[in-house]
Amino acid sequence: MDNFSKITDDSQNREYSNDEITVFWKPGKCVHATTCYKELIEVFNPRRRPWVNMYGAPTERIIEIVNKCPTEALTYKWNDEAKNKETINLKNERLKKGEGQNVTSQQAKPVTIQVMRDGPLVVQGDFEVFDEKGNKLKHMIMTSFCRCGASNSQPFCDGYHRKIGFNSEK
Amino acid sequence: MEISNNNIPEFKVIANGPLHVKGKITLINTNGEKQELEETWLCRCGNSKNKPFCDGSHKTAGF
Repeated sequence: MDNFSKITDDSQNREYSNDEITVFWKPGKCVHATTCYKELIEVFNPRRRPWVNMYGAPTERIIEIVNKCPTEALTYKWNDEAKNKETINLKNERLKKGEGQNVTSQQAKPVTIQVMRDGPLVVQGDFEVFDEKGNKLKHMIMTSFCRCGASNSQPFCDGYHRKIGFNSEK
Repeated sequence: MEISNNNIPEFKVIANGPLHVKGKITLINTNGEKQELEETWLCRCGNSKNKPFCDGSHKTAGF
Protein backbone atom coordinates (compact mmCIF):
# COMPACT_ATOMS: atom_id res chain seq x y z
CA MET A 1 0.00 0.00 0.00
CA ASP A 2 1.44 3.41 -0.86
CA ASN A 3 1.26 6.37 1.48
CA PHE A 4 -1.69 7.94 -0.26
CA SER A 5 -3.75 4.74 0.02
CA LYS A 6 -2.97 4.55 3.74
CA ILE A 7 -4.68 7.89 4.17
CA THR A 8 -7.97 6.34 3.09
CA ASP A 9 -7.62 3.09 5.09
CA ASP A 10 -10.68 2.92 7.38
CA SER A 11 -9.92 -0.21 9.39
CA GLN A 12 -8.33 1.75 12.25
CA ASN A 13 -11.33 4.03 12.78
CA ARG A 14 -12.80 4.11 16.29
CA GLU A 15 -15.83 5.54 18.12
CA TYR A 16 -15.96 6.80 21.69
CA SER A 17 -19.18 7.74 23.49
CA ASN A 18 -20.41 9.34 26.66
CA ASP A 19 -24.06 9.79 27.60
CA GLU A 20 -24.53 12.68 25.17
CA ILE A 21 -22.20 12.43 22.17
CA THR A 22 -20.08 10.01 20.15
CA VAL A 23 -16.65 11.09 18.95
CA PHE A 24 -15.39 9.49 15.74
CA TRP A 25 -11.65 8.96 15.37
CA LYS A 26 -10.19 8.46 11.89
CA PRO A 27 -6.42 8.12 12.33
CA GLY A 28 -5.90 8.08 8.56
CA LYS A 29 -7.12 11.69 8.45
CA CYS A 30 -4.94 12.88 11.33
CA VAL A 31 -2.23 15.39 10.43
CA HIS A 32 -0.82 15.49 13.95
CA ALA A 33 -1.55 19.14 14.53
CA THR A 34 -1.58 18.09 18.24
CA THR A 35 -4.41 20.52 19.08
CA CYS A 36 -6.53 17.86 20.81
CA TYR A 37 -4.03 16.63 23.37
CA LYS A 38 -2.34 19.98 23.91
CA GLU A 39 -5.67 21.58 24.80
CA LEU A 40 -7.49 18.69 26.49
CA ILE A 41 -5.13 15.98 27.72
CA GLU A 42 -7.82 14.83 30.20
CA VAL A 43 -9.80 13.49 27.23
CA PHE A 44 -7.25 13.05 24.41
CA ASN A 45 -4.15 11.32 25.72
CA PRO A 46 -2.10 9.52 23.05
CA ARG A 47 -0.11 7.63 25.69
CA ARG A 48 -3.21 5.97 27.13
CA ARG A 49 -5.29 3.07 25.77
CA PRO A 50 -7.98 3.77 24.83
CA TRP A 51 -6.54 7.17 24.04
CA VAL A 52 -9.91 8.97 24.32
CA ASN A 53 -11.58 9.25 27.73
CA MET A 54 -15.08 10.61 27.13
CA TYR A 55 -15.61 11.25 30.85
CA GLY A 56 -12.49 13.41 31.24
CA ALA A 57 -14.28 16.71 30.54
CA PRO A 58 -17.78 18.13 30.01
CA THR A 59 -19.38 17.40 26.64
CA GLU A 60 -19.32 21.08 25.61
CA ARG A 61 -15.56 21.21 26.12
CA ILE A 62 -15.03 17.99 24.12
CA ILE A 63 -17.08 19.44 21.24
CA GLU A 64 -15.04 22.64 21.36
CA ILE A 65 -11.78 20.71 20.94
CA VAL A 66 -13.18 18.33 18.28
CA ASN A 67 -14.18 21.44 16.31
CA LYS A 68 -10.62 22.73 16.58
CA CYS A 69 -9.18 19.57 15.00
CA PRO A 70 -8.18 20.85 11.54
CA THR A 71 -9.24 17.71 9.67
CA GLU A 72 -12.03 15.13 9.94
CA ALA A 73 -9.76 12.94 12.08
CA LEU A 74 -12.00 13.94 15.00
CA THR A 75 -15.71 14.52 14.46
CA TYR A 76 -18.74 14.05 16.69
CA LYS A 77 -22.46 13.42 16.68
CA TRP A 78 -25.10 13.81 19.35
CA ASN A 79 -26.43 10.45 20.46
CA ASP A 80 -29.91 11.97 20.28
CA GLU A 81 -30.57 12.15 16.51
CA ALA A 82 -33.06 15.01 16.95
CA LYS A 83 -30.30 17.15 18.41
CA ASN A 84 -28.10 16.60 15.34
CA LYS A 85 -30.83 18.14 13.19
CA GLU A 86 -31.44 21.18 15.35
CA THR A 87 -27.80 22.16 15.89
CA ILE A 88 -25.54 23.34 13.11
CA ASN A 89 -22.35 21.29 13.07
CA LEU A 90 -19.81 23.96 12.18
CA LYS A 91 -17.10 21.46 11.58
CA ASN A 92 -19.05 19.37 9.06
CA GLU A 93 -19.90 22.55 7.16
CA ARG A 94 -16.23 23.49 6.98
CA LEU A 95 -15.11 20.01 5.93
CA LYS A 96 -17.62 19.86 3.09
CA LYS A 97 -15.39 22.29 1.20
CA GLY A 98 -12.88 19.45 0.92
CA GLU A 99 -9.70 19.24 -1.10
CA GLY A 100 -8.48 17.92 -4.42
CA GLN A 101 -10.22 20.52 -6.55
CA ASN A 102 -8.38 22.77 -8.97
CA VAL A 103 -7.79 26.19 -7.52
CA THR A 104 -6.59 29.27 -9.33
CA SER A 105 -4.17 31.67 -7.70
CA GLN A 106 -7.01 34.18 -7.22
CA GLN A 107 -8.96 31.79 -5.00
CA ALA A 108 -5.99 30.11 -3.37
CA LYS A 109 -5.71 30.45 0.37
CA PRO A 110 -2.28 31.67 1.53
CA VAL A 111 -0.04 28.95 2.88
CA THR A 112 1.26 28.82 6.43
CA ILE A 113 3.75 26.28 7.69
CA GLN A 114 3.63 25.85 11.43
CA VAL A 115 6.71 24.23 12.93
CA MET A 116 5.57 22.02 15.83
CA ARG A 117 8.00 21.60 18.74
CA ASP A 118 9.28 17.99 18.72
CA GLY A 119 6.76 17.33 15.95
CA PRO A 120 5.97 17.85 12.28
CA LEU A 121 5.46 20.76 9.91
CA VAL A 122 1.74 21.50 9.83
CA VAL A 123 0.83 23.08 6.48
CA GLN A 124 -2.47 24.86 5.77
CA GLY A 125 -3.69 26.78 2.74
CA ASP A 126 -3.71 25.82 -0.94
CA PHE A 127 -0.59 23.99 -2.03
CA GLU A 128 0.70 21.21 -4.25
CA VAL A 129 2.85 18.26 -3.29
CA PHE A 130 5.42 16.67 -5.62
CA ASP A 131 7.25 13.37 -5.12
CA GLU A 132 10.99 12.67 -5.43
CA LYS A 133 10.69 12.28 -9.21
CA GLY A 134 8.97 15.63 -9.64
CA ASN A 135 5.53 14.12 -10.26
CA LYS A 136 2.68 16.15 -8.87
CA LEU A 137 0.97 14.01 -6.25
CA LYS A 138 -1.93 16.22 -5.34
CA HIS A 139 -3.40 19.52 -4.38
CA MET A 140 -3.89 19.75 -0.62
CA ILE A 141 -5.36 22.17 1.90
CA MET A 142 -3.98 20.64 5.08
CA THR A 143 -1.31 18.13 5.92
CA SER A 144 1.72 17.59 8.08
CA PHE A 145 5.18 16.67 6.88
CA CYS A 146 7.55 14.52 8.93
CA ARG A 147 10.62 16.32 10.21
CA CYS A 148 12.03 13.65 12.56
CA GLY A 149 12.95 11.27 9.74
CA ALA A 150 11.19 8.29 11.38
CA SER A 151 7.70 8.34 9.84
CA ASN A 152 6.62 5.22 7.97
CA SER A 153 4.34 7.36 5.80
CA GLN A 154 7.01 9.64 4.30
CA PRO A 155 6.88 12.45 3.48
CA PHE A 156 3.92 12.76 5.86
CA CYS A 157 3.85 12.58 9.65
CA ASP A 158 2.44 9.42 11.21
CA GLY A 159 3.00 10.39 14.83
CA TYR A 160 6.19 8.33 15.14
CA HIS A 161 8.17 11.32 16.49
CA ARG A 162 6.66 10.56 19.92
CA LYS A 163 7.95 6.97 19.85
CA ILE A 164 11.52 7.98 19.00
CA GLY A 165 11.47 10.92 21.44
CA PHE A 166 12.28 13.46 18.73
CA ASN A 167 13.79 16.60 20.23
CA SER A 168 13.60 19.45 17.73
CA GLU A 169 15.30 21.95 20.02
CA LYS A 170 18.68 20.22 20.06
CA MET B 1 9.33 18.59 -14.30
CA GLU B 2 5.77 19.83 -14.34
CA ILE B 3 5.50 23.59 -14.15
CA SER B 4 2.21 24.98 -12.93
CA ASN B 5 0.75 28.14 -14.39
CA ASN B 6 -0.25 29.74 -11.11
CA ASN B 7 1.36 30.88 -7.89
CA ILE B 8 0.21 28.10 -5.60
CA PRO B 9 3.16 27.08 -3.40
CA GLU B 10 4.79 23.78 -4.26
CA PHE B 11 6.22 21.27 -1.79
CA LYS B 12 8.78 19.04 -3.45
CA VAL B 13 10.16 16.01 -1.69
CA ILE B 14 13.88 15.61 -2.38
CA ALA B 15 15.03 11.96 -2.25
CA ASN B 16 17.01 11.32 0.96
CA GLY B 17 16.96 15.06 1.52
CA PRO B 18 14.84 18.03 2.56
CA LEU B 19 11.46 19.41 1.58
CA HIS B 20 11.88 22.06 -1.10
CA VAL B 21 9.20 24.73 -0.72
CA LYS B 22 8.72 27.08 -3.63
CA GLY B 23 6.20 29.94 -3.56
CA LYS B 24 5.06 32.50 -1.05
CA ILE B 25 4.51 31.00 2.40
CA THR B 26 4.45 32.11 6.03
CA LEU B 27 6.60 30.02 8.33
CA ILE B 28 5.57 30.03 11.99
CA ASN B 29 8.37 28.88 14.26
CA THR B 30 8.02 26.91 17.51
CA ASN B 31 8.15 30.17 19.47
CA GLY B 32 5.39 31.71 17.33
CA GLU B 33 7.66 33.98 15.27
CA LYS B 34 6.47 34.51 11.71
CA GLN B 35 8.66 34.67 8.63
CA GLU B 36 7.58 35.36 5.05
CA LEU B 37 9.55 33.22 2.60
CA GLU B 38 9.50 32.71 -1.18
CA GLU B 39 11.70 29.62 -1.28
CA THR B 40 13.15 27.41 1.40
CA TRP B 41 14.47 23.92 2.18
CA LEU B 42 13.07 22.32 5.33
CA CYS B 43 14.75 19.48 7.22
CA ARG B 44 13.05 16.07 6.91
CA CYS B 45 15.74 13.89 8.52
CA GLY B 46 15.74 15.36 12.03
CA ASN B 47 19.49 15.96 12.09
CA SER B 48 19.84 19.57 10.97
CA LYS B 49 21.55 21.91 13.43
CA ASN B 50 19.56 24.75 11.92
CA LYS B 51 16.00 23.44 12.28
CA PRO B 52 13.52 23.80 10.77
CA PHE B 53 15.86 24.47 7.84
CA CYS B 54 18.06 21.93 6.08
CA ASP B 55 21.81 22.29 6.67
CA GLY B 56 22.91 19.27 4.65
CA SER B 57 23.22 16.99 7.72
CA HIS B 58 21.09 14.31 5.99
CA LYS B 59 24.17 13.37 3.98
CA THR B 60 26.31 12.54 7.02
CA ALA B 61 23.33 11.00 8.83
CA GLY B 62 22.69 8.65 5.88
CA PHE B 63 18.97 9.56 5.69
